[in-house]
Amino acid sequence: MDRKIGVYICECGPNIAEKIDIDKVIKAVSPLDDVSIATRYKLLCSEQGKKFLEEQIKKNGLTHLVVAACSPRDHQHTFMTICENAGINPFLFQLANIREQCAWITENKEEATNKAIRLTKAAIGRVRYHVPLEKKEIESNPDVLVIGGGIAGMEASLHLASPQRKIYLVEKTSQLGGVVTNLEKTFPDMQSCPKIIQDKIDQVTNNDNIKVYTNCEVTEILGFFGNFEGTVTQNNNEDKTTVGFNVGAVVLATGCALFDPTDDPNYGYGKFDNVITALEFEKMNLAGNIRLKNGKTPKSVAIIHCVGRDKKGYCSEICCMYSIKFVRYLQNKIPEIKISNFYTDLCLPEKSYQKFYEQSRGKKNDFIRIDSIKITNPGNKLTITHNDEQGNKKSHGVDMVILSPALEPSVDTKKLAEFTRISQDDEGFFAEEHEKLGPVTTSTEGVYIAGCAQGPKSIQNTLIQAEAVAGKILSSLIPGKKIEPEVKVAHISESFCIGCKTCLTVCSYGVITFDSTKKVCVANEVICRGCGNCVAACPSGAASLKHFTFNQLRQELKEAVL
Amino acid sequence: MKKDDDFMPKILTFLCNWCSYAGADLAGTSRLKYPTSIIPIRVMCSSRVDPLFILKGYLNGADGVLLTGCHPGDCHYQSGNYHTRRRFAVLKKIFENLGLEHERLRLSWISASEGQKYAKITTEFTQKIKELGKNSTGTEIFL
Ligand SMILES: Cc1cc2nc3c(=O)[nH]c(=O)nc-3n(C[C@H](O)[C@H](O)[C@H](O)COP(=O)(O)OP(=O)(O)OC[C@H]3O[C@@H](n4cnc5c(N)ncnc54)[C@H](O)[C@@H]3O)c2cc1C
Ligand code: SF4
Ligand code: SF4
Ligand code: SF4
Ligand code: FES
Repeated sequence: MDRKIGVYICECGPNIAEKIDIDKVIKAVSPLDDVSIATRYKLLCSEQGKKFLEEQIKKNGLTHLVVAACSPRDHQHTFMTICENAGINPFLFQLANIREQCAWITENKEEATNKAIRLTKAAIGRVRYHVPLEKKEIESNPDVLVIGGGIAGMEASLHLASPQRKIYLVEKTSQLGGVVTNLEKTFPDMQSCPKIIQDKIDQVTNNDNIKVYTNCEVTEILGFFGNFEGTVTQNNNEDKTTVGFNVGAVVLATGCALFDPTDDPNYGYGKFDNVITALEFEKMNLAGNIRLKNGKTPKSVAIIHCVGRDKKGYCSEICCMYSIKFVRYLQNKIPEIKISNFYTDLCLPEKSYQKFYEQSRGKKNDFIRIDSIKITNPGNKLTITHNDEQGNKKSHGVDMVILSPALEPSVDTKKLAEFTRISQDDEGFFAEEHEKLGPVTTSTEGVYIAGCAQGPKSIQNTLIQAEAVAGKILSSLIPGKKIEPEVKVAHISESFCIGCKTCLTVCSYGVITFDSTKKVCVANEVICRGCGNCVAACPSGAASLKHFTFNQLRQELKEAVL
Repeated sequence: MKKDDDFMPKILTFLCNWCSYAGADLAGTSRLKYPTSIIPIRVMCSSRVDPLFILKGYLNGADGVLLTGCHPGDCHYQSGNYHTRRRFAVLKKIFENLGLEHERLRLSWISASEGQKYAKITTEFTQKIKELGKNSTGTEIFL
């Protein structure tokens, strides 16, 4: 095929025209092979400019287009659309950035002009080897599988459900609601909790577009964004009935578990009466029955923060706050009670937490900083021995001890991470795609995390994540709309691949699998993100990246340094 | 005028689309000045940069090669830049072993907001290359 490359240099008003000798650039690139026209224009992204370009492509029968103008971050898309409108494949186009990275970085017009020539030549060198790429469109299923029926899973489901979008909400236990169903009140506003959570449960169960599966677990997830297949198995021991369905996205909202204090003998949990966990205390309090084992009302209580923090190696963010909430519960219900809080660090983030703490302090309520603690039971009285900040050994006798344990990943995290091909972070929670830039997405497109499944957090932050997940899904998985997977993806040539699996180990997205019959690696183009890491890693040249092929880049480099 | 000042080196500069290229654009929109020696090549991720590209660029006349990417932990593709860092370290060793001037290679992390850092690093590196002089390894044939 004869190539006819059109080269258009934008003046960008005075922005480029005053800094670069455009005519000199035209003169330098006109004689190059395949260049059939090189010319300038005032403002290529204006309505007139766009029309001009489209007409030029058609009139001159161009096969490829090079524009020397601003950054691809500004108008690459604009020019690709013009190509499409003019009937040439949008990937037969290259933009040379002669504004942000050329005209604007120097006052020396001659130097800027020389660089602009280089950049335009490099773009021409590259575009010659561009090949047409077809945008793929695949049907997508707008329905969503939500795993975990706590507040996170329910909130996401409620935001997502609509007549066009069915939600399958899978809960392992016999009832919805998760941890929050055990709370009488919530920090920091001390609002009554049971009604709020019951309302949510009712909204979910009464919603025709949410199908709830209690006593169920997900046993398989296959496929990719827009087209997952999930299998759900009933937990009833006798007959394990399974159901399967197709969904476009998966939300992981399996919450977290409490660190088991029997793991640390210093706390005496499981050994001594009246040493209980925070969750056991919440239940006791909700039942309106704060009592010792012998049925009496406690006169003194110790609340121990940060249980298991050392072992886990992280702060669980909310234990200090719910421990302070316990102070409020106790002060309310047993006004004469003496309360001692033992902590290694007080964690009071958020705008209202400090105030909540200050308002909870009182004469009968100590906050004691410790660096080690041991609970013993001499003469059937619980005794707390600890070192204070000065290193002095002290002891206290109390009737009841409440342990506030660290929060850890729920038991099925590993299994579900494997099903969805996402990773777990160092602490074992589901790993988000990026701590800052992708807090609810994961390395598998279409798989999202919300709530304590991602790490310990308050109800408020849980809801924020659930809403963020819903927003992500609502904006990317639109009923009736096809999805467009990335086009510039990796491809592995079966005949060149030596089966070394290097590519497989560098890919962060589980795109590459090993075909053990053919002894080669295969990239699943539908889920490839197009970073090119596998391509640079491949020792045999079998892996290549569309639109950033070895040859395309080589040609660009060659012209750039010539 | 020193002779040095006449020499405008050619510095092949790889930039990843998400951080470094945006940082370089920011240097421009902020009208920061840096030498035109810098010839940008955009890739989606620094991990696309096959060490062979650097070697080829060097053997074919680039006076210096600057490789840039997102800061560790910030790669748009999770961990691409960790691979980049390892490959770069290996390439430097290879350069040393072959007796090539590894001082002509540089790796730098530039975020989308570090226009200033980009201008500074490109200026410094250009100065350094000017001191080293023209790359005499350059051949006529592009491998
Ligand atoms: C003692 C205590 C007190 C607290 N007090 C407060 C407070 O006052 N204020 C506040 O803001 N926050 C408080 N929190 C935090 C609050 O409980 C959490 O923010 C909230 O529960 C997180 O909701 P979630 O849906 O992410 O997780 P969870 O509530 O843990 O729900 C997860 C759900 O997923 C289910 N599940 C687990 N594995 C599977 C599986 N494999 N398949 C299907 N389903 C599964 C579980 O059964 C559960 O129903 C407290 C936490 C604790 C432990
Ligand atoms: S296309 Fe870019 S360079 Fe040209 S006028 Fe528009 S903004 Fe300026
Ligand atoms: S290009 Fe990136 S995402 Fe695609 S297969 Fe290669 S390493 Fe994985
Ligand atoms: S790195 Fe290259 S040769 Fe090795 S398995 Fe992957 S594609 Fe095949
Ligand atoms: S995207 Fe910038 S280094 Fe990977």
